[in-house]
Amino acid sequence: MTIDDQHTNERPLVEVRNLQTAFFTEKETIRAVDNISFDLRAGDTVGIVGESGSGKSVTARSLMGLVEKPGRVLQGSSVRFNHLETVQEFSKKFSKRTVVVDSVAEQYDGSMTDLFGHESVDITPQFFGYEKPESVPLADILAAGYGDKLGLVDANDCIFITEGDTDTIQDGFVEITRLSGEPQRQMRGGRIAMVFQDPLTSLNPVYTVGNQIKEALRLHQGLKGKEATQEAARLLDAVGIPDARRRIKEYPHQFSGGMRQRAVIAMALACEPEVLICDEPTTALDVTIQAQILDLLTDLQEQTDLAIMFITHDMGVIANISDYVNVMYAGEIVETTNVERLFSQPKHPYTEGLLQSIPGAQTGDRLTTIDGNVPTPNEPATYCRFAPRCPKAFEECEHVHPTATAVSTDVEDHTVACLLYPEDMDTTAAVEHHQNKSEQTTVDTPQSSMEVNQ
Amino acid sequence: MSRWEYFLKRLLLSIPVLFLVITFLFIMLRLGPIDPVAARFGPEATGADVQRMRDRLGLDDPLWEQYLQFARDLLLFEGQSWVVQANRPVRAVIYDTAGPTLWLGFWAILLPLFIGLPLGFYAGLNPNSWGDYVASIGGIVWLAMPNFWLAVMLLAVLRQTDGGGWFGFDWYQLGPELRSITGTPNLDWYSISNVSVFDIVSFPMLTGMDWGAFAVDIKFILPPALVLGSASMAAELRIGRTAMLETINSNYVITAKAKGLKQRVIVWKHVFRNALIPLVPVITNEAFILIGGSVIVEEVFNISGLGRTFFLAVIQGDLPLAGSLLFMFTLVIIFLNILQDFLYTIIDPRVGYER
Repeated sequence: MTIDDQHTNERPLVEVRNLQTAFFTEKETIRAVDNISFDLRAGDTVGIVGESGSGKSVTARSLMGLVEKPGRVLQGSSVRFNHLETVQEFSKKFSKRTVVVDSVAEQYDGSMTDLFGHESVDITPQFFGYEKPESVPLADILAAGYGDKLGLVDANDCIFITEGDTDTIQDGFVEITRLSGEPQRQMRGGRIAMVFQDPLTSLNPVYTVGNQIKEALRLHQGLKGKEATQEAARLLDAVGIPDARRRIKEYPHQFSGGMRQRAVIAMALACEPEVLICDEPTTALDVTIQAQILDLLTDLQEQTDLAIMFITHDMGVIANISDYVNVMYAGEIVETTNVERLFSQPKHPYTEGLLQSIPGAQTGDRLTTIDGNVPTPNEPATYCRFAPRCPKAFEECEHVHPTATAVSTDVEDHTVACLLYPEDMDTTAAVEHHQNKSEQTTVDTPQSSMEVNQ
Repeated sequence: MSRWEYFLKRLLLSIPVLFLVITFLFIMLRLGPIDPVAARFGPEATGADVQRMRDRLGLDDPLWEQYLQFARDLLLFEGQSWVVQANRPVRAVIYDTAGPTLWLGFWAILLPLFIGLPLGFYAGLNPNSWGDYVASIGGIVWLAMPNFWLAVMLLAVLRQTDGGGWFGFDWYQLGPELRSITGTPNLDWYSISNVSVFDIVSFPMLTGMDWGAFAVDIKFILPPALVLGSASMAAELRIGRTAMLETINSNYVITAKAKGLKQRVIVWKHVFRNALIPLVPVITNEAFILIGGSVIVEEVFNISGLGRTFFLAVIQGDLPLAGSLLFMFTLVIIFLNILQDFLYTIIDPRVGYER
């Protein structure tokens, strides 16, 4: 294995950092996704779970670049696509939008401390997870969109080369939040494909299923005519649709719900993506079909090493399919861990509540639920958004915003955003810990200075 | 049931409809307060003349005989006009007057289709933009003007432009020259002659075109066609906008976007065809309105077409002519309905399937 290969293997395929997506309505600003970070790795499935309105779908759409007006991804957000082949291909096609980070660093004569002192940079090094300004990589600042005002990069630069130069690219990333136009179109489907919630309406009723799959094949694999038809039939066969040769000539309304979802998955696979985002793909289906679709996704992942981001509100589905789980609540990720730990040792009161709400696991006459609804996140979080519904809430929860913290100092793979943790601190110390951390990292963005990060 | 079986079934269903229409027309015309003899002779006619005329027109025959005669005449277009063009065969009257109406109707369908629809689609693709506001408000204003009023106003304005006038252009002189802006179009710009192949079959073919006269006739028909098509134009604009908006926000369009398709392909392949589905009945239904509208517009613009002839036939008690014209209008409407179903079966594969 060469050094370059190691690099790509070490780094996650997709790094989501401080993603914020807000909807600017006349009445209020809704922070549908409020500063979340997570990773997607090839061959792994990351589940995102939460109630309706917790920001799951907006997260998916932010990754696809499908957030529509009046919503937009805010400055400071970064979604990196660390796929070397894509970076090499895109830098050739879109050389004008490619930036070599090292040469930007050479041009920039100030120090990193000056950079953070600049009036247009309203963040601290802690925002990127570093203590000192000089240890923050320049790429992080450029990716988060702070290089535009400083004159370091152009507003539509979106391909960043971090090692090597334009001819010999050794490492780099495509910054998804800065994509627009043609590279964005090529990113969609071809690199990141998406399967939507409602299979009944996500196929165009006036074209045959085969036509719609072939469209993707032609776009992303350059297949035409007979070849495309054969490949489309093979894909339908691969997702478990019997008699595929005949079925490709049929219209979506001749398919049942489960069949349609399989067809939609086949269509997504026809794009040969690296990442597959599934936005509640099984919610509209009955339980047996649901299980079949989940098995199908697992099989496909084994064959193609897909990174899957799976959104659902169904804890049972999450247990079945994911390797890692992010629990979302009101636009924030409140708990992140691997699936075994989540179900054996849930830490956040919200996760506990969700697990207790699974009907099958309950005894007694009445079902236990979490009282109340998800609040609309329409102001910056200066408190715990779950506190009003939390059985363990105490006074500080109203005043201190919990930040993602390791459950205890000896557990690495489990973070939770709750004032009760870390476990090995007493409550007062923990509250102080969160308070310090949140003061350091909070982006103090008055609404007027919020910029489109594209 | 396949879509073509469905279409065939639809076609066969129109036969009983035709007979219902014939019966209904007969009852309506015979029960109405219309006395063709009085219309022909005037109220001062003497008893003997009236009786002779009643015999000649067969008004005293048994009702079922009259009905059979009526039905036969309608189906074969064989009746004779009683009053309007007395004793001329209905077929000849229709032949003379159909041309100008067809010419008017053709342009009255074409104008909205190629102005209203594109404007509506543009507005739907750019919702809440200035273009959208202008098109939508223009559509409402246009819709609010009834065609009898619009016809008179348009005539008045165009007349004013004779020899310059207020607007700085002379409609009479602009492009091909016109002597009058009302009257019947000549429609003599084509020549058709029978072409025979090896002396076995002969069929009529277009053998010559007078482009100058053609241009004159187009210019001549534009104002009345614009008036006649005005309501359709506005309706198509508004429904086109809604259909476009609805389709552009549907899930399959987002799926297409997520697939990485180009915006051009999304609009022309995925949006356009779906947006057309709700527009098909709108467009064909407007053709019905044209039939009613042509009566008024032909009267105002003094075009001797089917609408005007029908109006005369009804007020003068010309039962065979009025009946035949109504029957022909019915045929047109049935044909348009079938056309509508045909377009549906082509555009929307879901039509005809029983679930």
